[in-house]
Amino acid sequence: MAVWLLIMLALPLAATAAGAVIGDRPVSGWLSAAASVGSFAAALVAVFAYDAVRGRHALGSVFFLDGLSGVFLIAVAFVYAVVALYSAGYLLPHIGHVRLRRWYWPLLNLFGLALLATPVLANLGVLWVAVELTTVVSALLVTSEGSDQSLEAGWKYIVIGSAGLAVGLLGIVLVYAAGVPVLGDHYTPTYTTLAHAARHLNPSLVRTGFAFVLVGFGTKVGLVPMHAWLPDAHSEGPSPISAMLSGALLAAALYAVLRIGAIAQITVGPTYVHVLLLVFGALSLLLAALFTLRQTNYKRLLAYSSIEHMGIVSLGIGIGGPVAAYGAFFHVLVHAAGKTLAFFGAGGLLSRYETREADEVRGVIRAAPFTGVMVLLGALAITGVPPFGIFRSELLIVTGGFSHSRYALAGLLVVFANVAFVGVYVVFHRMVLSPGDVTPGDRTRVGRPEQPLMAAAMVLSLVVVLVLGLWIPSPLNRLLHGAVSVIGGRL
Amino acid sequence: MPVAPHYDFAHATAAIIAILALLSGLSLLLVKQVHEQVRAYGAQSVFAAGYTLLVGIDRVDAALIVLAVWTALIKVIVIPVAIDRAVTRQVSEHEVPLVVQVPMSLLIGVTLAGLAYWSASALPIHAALLPTPALGMPLSLVLIGFFFMITRQNVISQIVGLLTLENGVFLATVAIAPGLPFAIGFLLLLDLLPAVVFYGVFARLIAARAKTTSIEDMAVLRG
Repeated sequence: MAVWLLIMLALPLAATAAGAVIGDRPVSGWLSAAASVGSFAAALVAVFAYDAVRGRHALGSVFFLDGLSGVFLIAVAFVYAVVALYSAGYLLPHIGHVRLRRWYWPLLNLFGLALLATPVLANLGVLWVAVELTTVVSALLVTSEGSDQSLEAGWKYIVIGSAGLAVGLLGIVLVYAAGVPVLGDHYTPTYTTLAHAARHLNPSLVRTGFAFVLVGFGTKVGLVPMHAWLPDAHSEGPSPISAMLSGALLAAALYAVLRIGAIAQITVGPTYVHVLLLVFGALSLLLAALFTLRQTNYKRLLAYSSIEHMGIVSLGIGIGGPVAAYGAFFHVLVHAAGKTLAFFGAGGLLSRYETREADEVRGVIRAAPFTGVMVLLGALAITGVPPFGIFRSELLIVTGGFSHSRYALAGLLVVFANVAFVGVYVVFHRMVLSPGDVTPGDRTRVGRPEQPLMAAAMVLSLVVVLVLGLWIPSPLNRLLHGAVSVIGGRL
Repeated sequence: MPVAPHYDFAHATAAIIAILALLSGLSLLLVKQVHEQVRAYGAQSVFAAGYTLLVGIDRVDAALIVLAVWTALIKVIVIPVAIDRAVTRQVSEHEVPLVVQVPMSLLIGVTLAGLAYWSASALPIHAALLPTPALGMPLSLVLIGFFFMITRQNVISQIVGLLTLENGVFLATVAIAPGLPFAIGFLLLLDLLPAVVFYGVFARLIAARAKTTSIEDMAVLRG
């Protein structure tokens, strides 16, 4: 397993170096796409061929894979692969909006490397370093359109994200300190070490530590009220980067919360962890769903949808019980695929219409039928319409809520998921299907054919979110059950 | 009551360093000039390195002593000089407009420190050399760093606020988890370097665009 994990990390590292040397040429894109697809394949092998569900260390205690890390690793690796593929088309001349192109590929691959490392690093301190690295790298990627707005968004993101992560680190330090009386002064804070000793850790330190971790890493997850950076960064960054932020970065940060939450719930009992997740999850779902109703910028609308979905995942785990937790982990996977599709579609619109304002985009289905269909399917997928995977995951969470007697929470999810459906779908429906002329000053771009790599990435995301809505392969089913057992507090 | 002499000395010195670190954090709230804020951060980092060194000597821990030297090198010399050279010399104005004026800032800073000590006293935790509440001083720096970031509408000031916050977390690590493996402590410090480089790149971009490091005009994105 160690070899595959090393290959998975070495490929983006090599692509980073190659991109830095080669610079802004199409071959950088090809290399990055190949590296990311190779990383995804290596991740699949590491997770499924070595029975990661049982929880295994690799390379001494450098790496650790179990059901929880396996689910998040697959989500992150998939998003990185399709984003690199899409970017290879998006960065071709006169297509996407990326002005600062020289460092795009090295930064994208470094971002991919840090994201891939996050769920597999056993040491919680090193995990924090990986998440911090994602902040500094992705903040620069957010600014790569070179506009004043993207600079503002990048600055807000790096300041709020870094401040949040400092608080998250304080949380990890408190959890470490909770283990000193039991494990001694110089122990390595791996998940397994702390989980084995969890029943003997100091409960008040663990309680405070987890609260700090939730607030700190929750800032990166985009949980309300620490979400201020997210709508700006998602809307102002290039669309493939928005997809990476939404589908992979938020998930990676949430992984950190859940990994430490898994320790905390052994020490202080599940109720404390669940209640905190419920509070932040419900708040995020509620406010983000309401905010989708007043958005005129379609990328910003998708950003609020991301906050809503992170709220749903937190709510699903907070509800407690295996069904809702299973639904929440499944939601991480299908949201990754669905949201990349939606942002890829938004990128297609942006490159064609050169505006983020939904009111200035009409009649897409006639001007660009493929993009129009993809955008509409993406909107349907992320709003939880059957037969897409998000419908299935939300249904599981609601079912779990009812079976666990959490009627109000299940009801809250049903109501506000529908509010978000109205907020998101109406806007995309108008852009794609409403009759109207295309942007008058830009007719030259209307007849341009779809870029094949961008189209391929969209189709891949669509296939995943659709197929998972109809069928969950048995190894994946087993992995999801493995994740549920981790958050259930069992090793 | 047999207490080794060096033990008293170490505790007394640690207490003095903690007070000085807190005062240096509060002193940030007094200065309006950007380069004075960077210097105040440098001074604060001297105390962070000093406390780490003291704990390292007291515990006879070579890793902590190396970390102290590394901290001094990075935070006292490299980062302040880098920030100064990267940005502050490029812009014409150096005085930061304040959202909250100095006397009120100081009052809020002292209140936050009091709040930090009060909250820390609830935690059953023992710190290396520091009297209880062990986390009082580090938490004070964290809160002052947050407050400073929020109320200073300037790129460099926000970087200084962020670094102050980070200093608070670093001091918390040394105080309550000095055994946290050296590799992690070293990694955290290494991580600070690229972070500062990236902050610097941002600050330069903003300064190059507007010939100012003020972020008062950066309020286009809302809602």
